[in-house]
Amino acid sequence: MSDQNLVELQGIHKAFGDNVVLAGVDLSVARGEVIVIAGPSGSGKSTMLRCVNGLETADRGEITFDGRPVKPGKGLSALRAEIGFVFQQFHLFPHMSVLDNIVLAPVKVKGIARDAARTRGQELLERVGIAEKAHQFPAELSGGQQQRVAIARALAMDPKLMLFDEPTSALDPEMIREVLDVMRDLAREGMTMLVVTHEMGFAREVCDRLVFIDGGLIVEEGPPAEFFANAQSERAREFVDKIIHH
Amino acid sequence: MIDVLTEHWSEFSSGWWVTVQIIAGSFGIAMVVGTFVAAFRIAPNKWLQRLGGLYVEVFRNIPLLVLLFISFAGLRRAGVDIGPWVAGIASLGLYTAAYVAEALRSGVFSVGKGQIEASLSLGFSYAETLRRIVLPQAFRTVIAPLGSLTIAMIKNSAIVGVSLLALPDLLKQARVVSARTFQTDETFFWAAVGYIILTGAATLIFRALEKRFAIAR
Repeated sequence: MSDQNLVELQGIHKAFGDNVVLAGVDLSVARGEVIVIAGPSGSGKSTMLRCVNGLETADRGEITFDGRPVKPGKGLSALRAEIGFVFQQFHLFPHMSVLDNIVLAPVKVKGIARDAARTRGQELLERVGIAEKAHQFPAELSGGQQQRVAIARALAMDPKLMLFDEPTSALDPEMIREVLDVMRDLAREGMTMLVVTHEMGFAREVCDRLVFIDGGLIVEEGPPAEFFANAQSERAREFVDKIIHH
Repeated sequence: MIDVLTEHWSEFSSGWWVTVQIIAGSFGIAMVVGTFVAAFRIAPNKWLQRLGGLYVEVFRNIPLLVLLFISFAGLRRAGVDIGPWVAGIASLGLYTAAYVAEALRSGVFSVGKGQIEASLSLGFSYAETLRRIVLPQAFRTVIAPLGSLTIAMIKNSAIVGVSLLALPDLLKQARVVSARTFQTDETFFWAAVGYIILTGAATLIFRALEKRFAIAR
């Protein structure tokens, strides 16, 4: 079973009203693979990512995660518990301390003993470099620190897959680095990652494959170096030009 | 002035205690029922939403006094005698619950959609998300309006006492003392003091709750 792809998307269509956002997307994600999804805004990148853990339901097409279908219904929560999701706006729970944010789901969803979960939570905070903030509240942290807590919160569930939806887009420039560093370490440790981002430096350095989406379709995909050096399609070349030479 | 109070201490104190019991019971009912009604109104199910809406419209649009007459005298004539205590506490509690539900609902809308998605993506079900993430934040957002509702409820408890003759609350006892002593002004002055102690305590408690649980966003 373990040689099977972790995620499979087949013919994913999604429209919001008359606005077609995904027009037939196919994508396979191997275990341990790090994929950056790039493309102009409104191209369907985030929607595709949100379909993978069922935050959006595709109108047509099939998604499987670890061999199981991702679809609304009873099993969906159990699937989500194995998929970490990091949002652009962090979405930490403002009424809980940093450590409680991290401990909540392991204790209540997975049934891990609170003490063990707290120890592990503290370790994760250390790993993302903010162990000293454990007992503060989210609002007392900078954006970059909040995003690192959000990553630790997702990691606390021991996910098989991590989804990042523009994780640095809401951050001040000086905080982007610290979040990307955490993500880079995670990639090196072998985590399977799908990352929607405009950080092409990160893509070039970290990802195995770059997927370029435009108009709801995957226009081009391949190793990042190849993509940046000689993108095949007109639209991808335009995109590279804009990103690199702006 | 003070002699009315000291000479009729047992009436005042027993009346005050009955009032305390009425508001404690009603408060419990109002919070529990109000929470459920609010949860119904935001549930992802049309019929539950309608049921919650119907509850609010019914209990918010009937005067409390009418509700008391229906629940006590009305039901008794129909052959159901639930007694003055149950009738009084339930009427005041269910009446206040409609307002609690509306306050909570507004609090729920202040909790962002991102909070719900974050909770769902951690593996919580929709119901668990409501219970662990949305409602705790909604409560914290509406502590101040809940305080106002509680104070209104304490004052409304006087209506329970005067309308259900068998419930000897603070106002009822004050009327008894006043009829016996003819010291009307003094008697009702002390009754007012008794109510102010309760509303003042509620004010302080809710202020402390707000300080303790307010969310920094």
